[in-house]
Amino acid sequence: MSGEAGRLVIETVGLKKTYLGKMPTPVLFGIDLRVAAGEFVSIIGQSGSGKSTLLNILGALDVPTEGLVKIDGVDISTLTEDGLAVLRSQVVGFVFQAHFLLDELTCLENAVLPISIRNGSPTLEESAWITSLLVRVGLGGKLHKYPDTMSGGENQRCAIVRALANRPRIVLADEPTGDLDSHTGEEVFRLMRQMSSEIGISFVMVTHDERLARAADRILLIEDGLMRALTKEEKAVGTSPS
Amino acid sequence: MTIYSLLPRQVRFESQLAWRHLRSGGGQTWLTIAAVASGVIIVIFIMGLIFGLQRRLTALLTDAIPHVTVQVPEGKPIPYADLPGRLPGTSSSRSEIQAPQRKNIDDWRTVLAVAGTIPNVRAVTPAVAGQGFASKGANPVGVSLIGADPMEQELITPVTKNLIGGHYDGLLADEVVIDFELAKDLNVGVGDRIRITSISGVPEPLRVAGVYSKGQGRGSAYVTLRTGQSMLGIGNSVNVVYVKVFDIYAADAVAERLSALLECEAKSWSSEFPNFVTSLQAQSASAYLISGFTLIASSFAIASVLIVSVQRKAKQIGTLKSIGARSRQILLIFLLEGLGIAIAGSVMGAIAGIAIVSLLSLPKQAVARGGGLPESLFPLILDPVYILAAMGAATTATVLAALLPARSAAKLNPVDAMR
Repeated sequence: MSGEAGRLVIETVGLKKTYLGKMPTPVLFGIDLRVAAGEFVSIIGQSGSGKSTLLNILGALDVPTEGLVKIDGVDISTLTEDGLAVLRSQVVGFVFQAHFLLDELTCLENAVLPISIRNGSPTLEESAWITSLLVRVGLGGKLHKYPDTMSGGENQRCAIVRALANRPRIVLADEPTGDLDSHTGEEVFRLMRQMSSEIGISFVMVTHDERLARAADRILLIEDGLMRALTKEEKAVGTSPS
Repeated sequence: MTIYSLLPRQVRFESQLAWRHLRSGGGQTWLTIAAVASGVIIVIFIMGLIFGLQRRLTALLTDAIPHVTVQVPEGKPIPYADLPGRLPGTSSSRSEIQAPQRKNIDDWRTVLAVAGTIPNVRAVTPAVAGQGFASKGANPVGVSLIGADPMEQELITPVTKNLIGGHYDGLLADEVVIDFELAKDLNVGVGDRIRITSISGVPEPLRVAGVYSKGQGRGSAYVTLRTGQSMLGIGNSVNVVYVKVFDIYAADAVAERLSALLECEAKSWSSEFPNFVTSLQAQSASAYLISGFTLIASSFAIASVLIVSVQRKAKQIGTLKSIGARSRQILLIFLLEGLGIAIAGSVMGAIAGIAIVSLLSLPKQAVARGGGLPESLFPLILDPVYILAAMGAATTATVLAALLPARSAAKLNPVDAMR
């Protein structure tokens, strides 16, 4: 991990996004963002400020209207649809506000899903690794349970393991604790932090929870479609985006 | 190790998810399978009924007649100008035609030998056929006369199985087997003596050895070949050779081959009954049309169910794409789902269709003609070809029906889908 430190895994230059429709709606006005390997960054901002839009673009789920987006050193505008799918599978992991686990699959099957998508099915080693992660997050007894029989916190922990399954460079978490109570939310956050430092994965977390945001390496604020880092004073007093 | 690990890697995850979708679909999955099965049942039933009916009608007709009849061709009109020996400098607008009587086949043994070499030929019989009058005292009644060896003739137009009384096998030279209508008209029965006068004017006293009924109006009077030759005065010749084939729908080819190999005219049963063949073709076309519409209707039902299913799974599709699933993987998941429904529906439909057709074949009805065995009320048949075709067509239609929703699922934008 030491060799990786300082290497940029996310880089955006002049990133703009306008939703085209009857009335074009500009959302991002030129975002310059750099995230280094292993860094844990939180993004805060008012509702509708474009946090999720930024995350979707970083995760190659959406395309920018203008600007450069490099993920793990690759300009994603040069990738084909299959190339984007590979990026989403192997470079980026997603954690959503709702866990979005598949109801038809067990906890273990959900957690290995990115591997199954990539390679048909996990190898024994991969299964063992995912199982060990699930045990680590306290789901050892829930491996064969279905999401509708598990609690919200358990499902979200399973979703985090799913995001780590292909050992991605980056995990993008869109309000991962938004649907959880504060205690469970903290637990989930602590888990992400732990995984980030242990496995060396960069985390970009969008959150409304200032307490959790302050626990990140860096806090970025999206305001009026632009992004800036919080000043020391703002960090100290806390800047409520809402 | 799961069952999916036995599948190729390219379809392993897709098969697993498709199966789970079907399993979790519960009642909806079963309803969709039932829609496919219903289509297959209807197709099997319609095909079984229409083609069963055709087979019965065709059997009724073709069992009682030769499939190919070989005769010497009738004389054709010859223009005066082509007549040999015409007077020089004369002309006529008339065409001359030979008298409407057929010549005999003197070399009929060659015909038998040639016919025996043609594939699909089941039986060949030399015979004499002509018209005459049957009488018992006064009131002569017109009758069609056939003289042939009884054992050989049995292979061409079965008589024994239609006998009401008496015998045909072992027919003697002074015996005749007549049909029920003639026996009724002459008011005679087995053992009575009647007189048959052929068109050549030779009267022959004959004992009624048997009376038969085919339930198809007036039939021929059967005598031995020797008696027939004697009554028609044709010596050792015959005037017709009857051929029976294995595949009645290939009788035309046999007739064509015989015509090509012999200086004779060979006519197949289908050329003798063109309207019957046309009506069979119309029936077949109707069966295919009904089956096609049935499958189209069930395809629409299946497509609509799968479209709703895709809409309900939009978030899941978005999730799968956000974690790396490619569009073709999503397409494959929903196509495999459709294929699963298609295979399950086809198999269940085929089993149910076979059961229903088998059950409906059980009720019997008495036949119209006397002495006949009861026949099935519904002339249904179970042909493996039609069953497999119905399953194949239903499977294809269902997979095609699944293609539309599968394509729309594959095209879903993950951000829009998860919103």
